[in-house]
Amino acid sequence: MTTAPQAPHEHGDGRRLTPEAVQGLQFSRAGMLHPGYDDAEVDRFRARVAAELARLTSEKAELDGEVRQLQAHLRSLEEQLRQAVPHERPSDQAVRILAVAQQTADEYVAEAEDFSRQMTADARAQSEEQLRTARENAGAILQAAHETASRMVATGGDAMPVAGDDGPSPQELQEEVAYLRAFGQAVRVQLRSYLEALITDVETEWGHAHPAALPQEPVRTPSRRPDARVVPATPPPNVAAELPGVDDPKPGPGPAGSAGTEVSGARQ
Amino acid sequence: MDIPAMRASFAKAAAHGDEAPLWFYSHLFLTHPETRALFPVSMAHQRDRLFSALGDVVAWVDELDRLVPVLQQLGRDHRKFGTVAEHYPAVGASLLATLEHFDDEWDDDLAKSWTKAYQLVADVMVEAAEKSSAQPPWWEAEIVAHERRTVDVAVLRVVPRTPLEYLPGQSISLETELRPKLWRYYSVANAPRPDGELELHVKARDGGPVSTALVRRAAVGDVLRLGPPLGGLTLDPESDRDLLLVAGGTGLAPLKALVDQVARQGPARRVDLFVGARTEDALHDRADLERLAQGNPWLTVTLAVSVDEQSALEQGVVGEVAMRHGPWNSRDVYIAGPRVMVEDTTSRLLQHGARRERIRAEVFAPSRPGPDVDGKVTE
Repeated sequence: MTTAPQAPHEHGDGRRLTPEAVQGLQFSRAGMLHPGYDDAEVDRFRARVAAELARLTSEKAELDGEVRQLQAHLRSLEEQLRQAVPHERPSDQAVRILAVAQQTADEYVAEAEDFSRQMTADARAQSEEQLRTARENAGAILQAAHETASRMVATGGDAMPVAGDDGPSPQELQEEVAYLRAFGQAVRVQLRSYLEALITDVETEWGHAHPAALPQEPVRTPSRRPDARVVPATPPPNVAAELPGVDDPKPGPGPAGSAGTEVSGARQ
Repeated sequence: MDIPAMRASFAKAAAHGDEAPLWFYSHLFLTHPETRALFPVSMAHQRDRLFSALGDVVAWVDELDRLVPVLQQLGRDHRKFGTVAEHYPAVGASLLATLEHFDDEWDDDLAKSWTKAYQLVADVMVEAAEKSSAQPPWWEAEIVAHERRTVDVAVLRVVPRTPLEYLPGQSISLETELRPKLWRYYSVANAPRPDGELELHVKARDGGPVSTALVRRAAVGDVLRLGPPLGGLTLDPESDRDLLLVAGGTGLAPLKALVDQVARQGPARRVDLFVGARTEDALHDRADLERLAQGNPWLTVTLAVSVDEQSALEQGVVGEVAMRHGPWNSRDVYIAGPRVMVEDTTSRLLQHGARRERIRAEVFAPSRPGPDVDGKVTE
């Protein structure tokens, strides 16, 4: 009876309970009158097992925390290492090569922007000039019409119906003026769409521009030519070409005809 | 920090002109390739900006009162470029490498001074950026209307997906996917509305990448990025004097926002708006202005042309036309437009006895390469 309870007794508070100790544990018989193990020994052992389990659980939690800390530390070290590698100073040569490449790119962009700027500015100047000429022409024609009208008024209201044989009647003149207004409007619309087409061309080229696509001479734009040769080789919708359409409803002689010739003349 | 020594070393790098920032960015992109995506294709203008900003820092490093607000603004403003706190050490390392490269007498003391100074700058910028983090770094805004008003001018209406607060007369910076990483400033042409819609007047500049794209390529459904609102021509909240507004070109936008503010919020006051253009065709917002003038008895709109003799509108530069209708000495005056027009109008007003402190003006300059702390506005 003295050997059996060794396990519960020998494992005092300072010692840990091992799986081997549990395996080899033997409890004392309780006695002749009490079948089974000694209750007191079993109870003591249960208490020890419970204490041991509690200790193990808390130790495990502690260790888990430590593992997490270490993992985080490891990750940050890896991160530092990863950043440290490219931090190695690039060679001066590498920096210079990249610098030259960047400068080349910058120049291409600048050239493309400049090209676009010149094209648009030239197109604008050309359009404004044409608009101005057209307005002047229209103004002159209107003026002439007014003069004719006032001359006829001066020759006397009575004579008007008779004079209708020689010159245009007031109604014809009014029609003439209305036509000229419409004509002026049409010219304006045409010029605007012409300018629009040019600008759109320039715009769609922006960003696509390849240095090889740049002309050798800096942009042979229309406005560099004298006005008389202003029409490009393949002109966008062009006033002269559209004029017959405008003329058709009113094919009469006189100012209408001359307006058409003058404007298209200015564009040839 | 040995400030004189730092200034001397900075001067050595700056003396190499474009070469120094070129070296800096190449170094940065080699060591941190991910930073390249934060910049536009062409770095030409960017390089000017970097060294002028650094020059300011070096010049003001012993006047922190002056430097810190500028740095804070820079820090806040950099959020919309996608700059994050991790980028700052990378920039610092390349900056030191650049200064060292251009300085034969570089030593550890200088390196320490610069490291410390840069750390200070970075801390202020990062802190300011973090403080403003309640606000998004940028707002996405969808174009809901795009009207070509003249050959060169379009009026865009955009709706930010999250609310963007601003004051009438302020401008915002914006970026379009058509021209990535190029930010431009535009004034909003209306007071804040319940539906959040913003009206922008954009004039295509010859060769200007962003403005031409906005006028000729952008379409309804496109999404723009907007930066936080900035400065601009805002009404003096202390004053309820009547207003004289003089606009040239797309300088009309901020002044139209002021008219809208008076209409929506008051106080009730008389407003005279003069809008100038070279020709009648170039008045890009005429219909809307006439509608406003008809609907609001307190508003008088006068349109003027300077080189269009056929026009029945008032003839002359807009400042001259405004003077004809004067005197305006009792008014608060707001002027916006091209530099020549702003200067001409201001000097005419002063000649006629207007008080300088009642005149506020904003110059609409041709497109600039990118935003800066001045918040200048491009047409």
